[in-house]
Amino acid sequence: MSVKRLLLIGFGIYIGGAVLLLALFGSEGENEEFQPQEEFRLEPWIEINIGGLDLSINRAVFYLFLACALTCGVMVYIARRMQQKPNKVQTAVETLYNLTYNTITRGNMSEQMSKKWFPFVATLFFFIWISNLIGYLPLPTNTHEKVNVFGVELPSFAIYAATANLSIPLVLTLVVWFSYQVEGVRAKGFVPYVKSWIPSGTPKAMRPFLLIIEIISQTVRIISLSVRLFANILAGHLLILFMGGGLGVILGVAALGWITFPLALVFFIFEVVLVATLQAFIFATLTSIYFGEATSAEGH
Amino acid sequence: MLDLLAPIAQAGGGVTDDGLKAIALGIGAGLGSIGAGVGLGLLFASVIESVTRQPEMREEITSIQWLGFALIEAVAFYTFIFGLIAFFL
Repeated sequence: MSVKRLLLIGFGIYIGGAVLLLALFGSEGENEEFQPQEEFRLEPWIEINIGGLDLSINRAVFYLFLACALTCGVMVYIARRMQQKPNKVQTAVETLYNLTYNTITRGNMSEQMSKKWFPFVATLFFFIWISNLIGYLPLPTNTHEKVNVFGVELPSFAIYAATANLSIPLVLTLVVWFSYQVEGVRAKGFVPYVKSWIPSGTPKAMRPFLLIIEIISQTVRIISLSVRLFANILAGHLLILFMGGGLGVILGVAALGWITFPLALVFFIFEVVLVATLQAFIFATLTSIYFGEATSAEGH
Repeated sequence: MLDLLAPIAQAGGGVTDDGLKAIALGIGAGLGSIGAGVGLGLLFASVIESVTRQPEMREEITSIQWLGFALIEAVAFYTFIFGLIAFFL
């Protein structure tokens, strides 16, 4: 069977299926029951209330613990089993070490800062990467919609990423932001550090104006760094949800679910292969750029 | 021409809250893609041109290229988030 024949058959099944579904089921009108927000709802599994703060264990906390355990476990396991002649897994980890140490950390920070902050930057990279990746693995965590298997109520499978909630990227960003501000003040002193925000060579009249803009820009970094990671993962999950049948369910047209399904596959592959790794890389690179910028000896 | 829109809106049930929210989300998510489209086009155009001029710099430029791609893509997501905020809050 030539490639052209296979393509034509595939295309025919695609169009034929859509027409068949449209003819058989047509449109059932808009569906009010399915709410996309419900997919991101966090039901508390173990209620813990300390001093009025809701610290209960829920789905996102479970994913956080899982990401921590995986990150630490995988790295420690590989470190314990290092050999002189590396096998494939060790080579992969060595490549990642080279990426985080040379490209990300040493490319943007001075030698002294690199030695101090490399473990932090590398941990950020691996933690965010693994946290993004396990968000695309279906795990039985949906306690809202249970499934009846042989009389036992089991939570149904769902994909959910810990980083799809604003809290986790926000906490990571706040840690990074406060760290690099403190490092900058420690390296230069408070007033020279704030003065280093203004590019050297600006005329004296423009300086206060530029200082205000730079203060705003430094503060907005908190929002931009966290929302970048959060929105990328959230938008990916929403796209997969809507293309993978959500649109068909909401509008009540079965054929629409069939038609948008290949798009869902494309987005899923795109997200897993590209966006998960890229966003972790971006977060780690920007962290080291901010550190390097804060502690660099010369001006802007 | 604008006074033609009023009877149409009236006939359809008036300008509702839901309709305005839908417009907000659509404009937020839709217009943001213009910036990302232009930016990504410019980025990859310059990558292609510089790799053509100096093929030996390919790897260095590739790592900067991925950094630029993610930062530009993020701007489109900012407007999407603003649209979501307008829709839900």
